Amino acid sequence: MNNRNLLKGLFLIAISLAFGLGSLRYPMGTFARAGPGLFPLLVSSLLFLVGLTVVVRSLLSERTGMAFNVRNIGLVMASLVGFALISEYVNMIAGIVFMVFCASLAGTSYSAARNLKIAAVLVAVALVFQKFLGLQLPLY
Amino acid sequence: MEVLHNLAFGFEHALTLQNLMFCALGCVVGTLVGLLPGLGPLATISLLLPLTYSIPVGGALIMLAGIYYGAQYGDSVSAITMRIPHASSIVACIDGYQLTLKNRTGLALFTAGVSSFIGGTVAIVVLAALAPALGEVALLFGPTDYCALMLLGFVCVSFVTTGSLLNGLAMCLIGVLLGQIGTDVNSGMQRFTLGLPYLTDGIGLISIALGCFGIAEITKNLDSREDRSPFKGKIHLIPTWEEFKRIIPSALRGSAVGSFLGILPGGGPVIAQFAAYALDKKVSKYKHEIGSGAVEGVAGQAAADEAAARTSFIPLMSIGIPENAVMALMMAAFIIKGIQPGPNMIADHPELFWGLVASMWVGNCFLVILNVPMVRYWLSVFEIPYNVLFPAILFFICIGTYSVNNSLEDVLVTAGFGLLGYLFSRLDLDPPPLILGFILGPMLEENFRRALLLSRGSFTTFVTRPISGTLLGLIAILIVWQVVAFFLQTQRAAALRARSI
Repeated sequence: MNNRNLLKGLFLIAISLAFGLGSLRYPMGTFARAGPGLFPLLVSSLLFLVGLTVVVRSLLSERTGMAFNVRNIGLVMASLVGFALISEYVNMIAGIVFMVFCASLAGTSYSAARNLKIAAVLVAVALVFQKFLGLQLPLY
Repeated sequence: MEVLHNLAFGFEHALTLQNLMFCALGCVVGTLVGLLPGLGPLATISLLLPLTYSIPVGGALIMLAGIYYGAQYGDSVSAITMRIPHASSIVACIDGYQLTLKNRTGLALFTAGVSSFIGGTVAIVVLAALAPALGEVALLFGPTDYCALMLLGFVCVSFVTTGSLLNGLAMCLIGVLLGQIGTDVNSGMQRFTLGLPYLTDGIGLISIALGCFGIAEITKNLDSREDRSPFKGKIHLIPTWEEFKRIIPSALRGSAVGSFLGILPGGGPVIAQFAAYALDKKVSKYKHEIGSGAVEGVAGQAAADEAAARTSFIPLMSIGIPENAVMALMMAAFIIKGIQPGPNMIADHPELFWGLVASMWVGNCFLVILNVPMVRYWLSVFEIPYNVLFPAILFFICIGTYSVNNSLEDVLVTAGFGLLGYLFSRLDLDPPPLILGFILGPMLEENFRRALLLSRGSFTTFVTRPISGTLLGLIAILIVWQVVAFFLQTQRAAALRARSI
């Protein structure tokens, strides 16, 4: 079983290091005249301390597992990325249809007929947005 | 008297046809998102922010505020009828659902609606009286005091939203760091942009909010795969006079508690409900019934919920510091519209401030109609299966992020934050403090650098100034308390384990 609290601490430390080491590349200045690197360095050191405390605490207290369902988040991500790419290279109506069909794979039941109806309604809504609210959607 | 005069002035602005329309629209949308799972006020306000670019300032703010307090009105409906809590209606599940089991759903819904109305009305009086006065106090604040106040806000928000100080603080700090991405205002240097021209202006707030609240929430709901069975029972709304009399004292108590807790940093609807419920359990005449379906258990919390949602506007509009994540988004809306909330706002834009206050009462009237006589029609919303709902929400998220800059890159960034938000939720980290940190981060840096510039690099200035000294003292107390509590807890756990062996 993986340890959620330990993972959390390591995750926080990773973020703090990413920003902390990055901020070293910018001029620090002095406290009276702070440079652009000083504040991010301070904040990421604080975050580092918090992460360290979480790690220490996780070793003291009981382990809790972490559930991670790759399928659902993967499908949602794929549908969003697909929407962006298809809208870029084909058009947004195709993007919307793809998104509906891809995302609904993650639902509890799947029906192509229902997906077609949802997609049709959403395309209609997008057309209303474009025509009446003046949003610039590259629909076709 | 001056307050009355100002309110009359506010109503002049709130009652124009256009503003009435925006207010009604905000209330309807707010009620809807309050009912639906997986689309809270945070996600909705960020969705609608881009749409408000073309609306006049006053109308935009009235509408966004309406969404926020409208969502607080409607969120107890699902808790009462089906025991499905929203973020801010956990308490309503207890007595509200017990009343449903007793076939008194109508009474519970009526109580929640009317108490919310009372809570909202009390809070508006508090708001009108207190915000201008507090604004004058805020003029005494220097950069050090602003820093201390923001830090106190971080600590309190972390404390309240996640229960564990460390989780919340971590999220605030991550938010501050994300806010660092982009061009440094003081030196013009580009920080953490990885050389991408796309990041020179920083990450879009809307991408973060929709990713962490919209997409992550959808995926979480998909993971839990619970099927909701819509409420089919009968609803008889009108209570007897005896029951009605029991609502009033509890609702007034709740309004007072909510109004007070809404003003404090980190305060807001969630904590106010728990406090009001606890108070009713202590002092109510019918306290022995609370927990098994008492009117008081619904009335107090609903009033507190609504009152706190409105008084939480006070720190934003009078000091210029948002105290929770939704207010941080409201602040972003103010700034997009070219208005800096703070001590000078009420004097510079009286029509906005008083118009907003007056519109809250107008909205209150809309909401009580939407939520009491018309509540049975809203219940049909629950019959939409989630399998239909979530592709539609995804679609709105895509269109919303796209239309900020007409850029598909934004959709990809939002997707990235959706993944990050899902990771956060799996690691048991709550995202609301992150939004607060992200919005306050640049302000914190600016005030921090200015304070040190004024004190020539000496940190003693944070302790010696009376306001910031007091605020930092409060932070120290909170942190020490949390550390002590943790050690006591582990000791007790160890003792329990020793005994069981």
